[in-house]
Amino acid sequence: MPVTSEIKPSVAIAGGGLIGRLLAWRLSLQQFDVTLYEAGDLSTPGGACWAAAGMISPLSELVHSEAEIYRLGVQSLALWPSWAEQLEQQSGRQVQFRHAGSLLVAHAQDKSELLQFQRELQGKLNDDISAHVQALDGEQLRQLEPALENFEQGLYLRDEGDINNRRLLPVLLSVLRQQDVALRERTPVSCSGYQVEHQEGRVRFDCVIDCRGLGAQQQIQGLRGVRGEVLVVQTREVELQRPVRLLHPRYKLYAVPRPDGRTVIGATEIESEDMSPISVRSTMELSSALYSLHPAFAEARIVETRVHCRPATMDNMPYIHSEPGLVRVNGLHRHGYLLAPALAEKVEKLVTKQVLQVA
Amino acid sequence: MWWRRWSVDDSKRLIMNEQLNLYGKNFNSRLLVGTALYPSPAIMRESVEASGAEIITLSLRRQSPEQQQGKMIWDYIRESGCQLLPNTAGCRTPREVIALAEMSREIFQTDWLKLEVIGDDYNLQPDPYGLIEAARELVKRGFKVLPYCTDDLVVCRRLLDVGCEVLMPWGAPIGTGQGLLNKYNLQTLRERLPDVPLIIDAGIGAPSQAAEAMEMGFDAVLLNTAIAKAQNPVVMAQSFRLAVEAGRSAHAAGLMVKRQTASPSTPTLDMPFWQQSSSKALQD
Repeated sequence: MPVTSEIKPSVAIAGGGLIGRLLAWRLSLQQFDVTLYEAGDLSTPGGACWAAAGMISPLSELVHSEAEIYRLGVQSLALWPSWAEQLEQQSGRQVQFRHAGSLLVAHAQDKSELLQFQRELQGKLNDDISAHVQALDGEQLRQLEPALENFEQGLYLRDEGDINNRRLLPVLLSVLRQQDVALRERTPVSCSGYQVEHQEGRVRFDCVIDCRGLGAQQQIQGLRGVRGEVLVVQTREVELQRPVRLLHPRYKLYAVPRPDGRTVIGATEIESEDMSPISVRSTMELSSALYSLHPAFAEARIVETRVHCRPATMDNMPYIHSEPGLVRVNGLHRHGYLLAPALAEKVEKLVTKQVLQVA
Repeated sequence: MWWRRWSVDDSKRLIMNEQLNLYGKNFNSRLLVGTALYPSPAIMRESVEASGAEIITLSLRRQSPEQQQGKMIWDYIRESGCQLLPNTAGCRTPREVIALAEMSREIFQTDWLKLEVIGDDYNLQPDPYGLIEAARELVKRGFKVLPYCTDDLVVCRRLLDVGCEVLMPWGAPIGTGQGLLNKYNLQTLRERLPDVPLIIDAGIGAPSQAAEAMEMGFDAVLLNTAIAKAQNPVVMAQSFRLAVEAGRSAHAAGLMVKRQTASPSTPTLDMPFWQQSSSKALQD
């Protein structure tokens, strides 16, 4: 049902991370009067979404998570191309959504990892996986990624994609400005039904959406931070066309190519809410795994390190809670870009329903 | 009837009464499990429950323990009510081990410690020299040390000499799921150290391997990856619980001795017994 322009319902969104920005964009397109609160700066976001690599890989993630994550991921993957296009048209800038699939490789001595991956996928998907996963020999692998000279086997997951989050988040911000979303930076808030509270007082809204990530820890029982560490390296010597995951008995490594010869390497997963800089051990693990992907990475320069804690629930599933005047969405864990569009749609529906009921 | 005297109920009681005693504390379960690598903390906790384990290991090497940044997950694990067995996974020198052990004792309020000193980064093989040195110091400091060691008899003896009361020899390298790789060595340990609680730690991939360890007379089994990496960790945890119980009661019941040839347990009636041994040859 269209919302008429005379009585624009007001919505407050707390948290200017990925899901907060997407919701602010979607809801302001629907002619809601949107106010976005962010505890830090919107131009240099501090959240997990800024540290992430931006992979959208429902199949690779399915192995470590529940079938629901896959289902939501497939939904998101269907939404991303049109959302990306729409954002590019509105902003005149690129967000670099790439739908080139992803590759999984393992060294000869760890090749049972590939088998284990296929078996787990088969078990979870309960479906013929050959439609989604293609086993490659060395030659086929190098047709897709000439740089992967040291590998004789791999898996190609052609449906997967990724998005350049360092482009997407600023583009979203500029679009929010265009759409007259009220932006309240450096304003930590607490959320309750129909109400946002900050230092200067309380503000009433027709609906409040709380997507503050770990900022909402006091309100969501069992919400924890999972530390993730990421390296960004730069070299002209190795060029990848798509995200590559290296399977190893102990380390999980992905390498996501970005413009200017940069590659984002991640990510550790440590049960800790420690936000201090990357450890030497993690740097060694990530860089030695990277080196084993291609020896020329040895001369790459480490241009950036990123550390953040992913907001996660105890079952590692996304959290959506709705009560009169308040919707909370949280716990996207390691699946921010994978889940955000699907969850944003869900929340959008919840909010629209709530506001219309009140009206 | 005679067989009533040996009903399942009796034998169950017989075995249940025989608790696992480690450092003066009794346990009903002979399965120890780790808390790492699960798809989520919730599945970890459900799996621990399904395994029936009363002792669980946990690692804090990478969680900046000095700042208590992993408190949330530690509390979640603690709620299981199990005896916590903090480990020193990831340590390579006795000095590192001791610092971490002291921190663990303070955080978890327990002097129990699974001692790990890694000698090789690829297969995470224990360093026997570092192990003995660290164990000596930890015992002095009042820790109840359960060392993760290789299956070498002399190393095991040295660990006992420095004051370890329990030993945890490997079945195979950590996370490999290869089972009991050197049964000869393991059998030697069991025979030569009959009164020492021996726990097979690491390398167990399937319930059958856990049962085998128990049938050989080992006191308990410790594992993590085989459950955590199963497609259904909770059901696998239950499977391991059953396997460990089966192996233990089989050991108590007394396994038959293997025979050299397959032989029918009742005579083949239509053939004179002196011809039976050659019947197979005749058929061929």
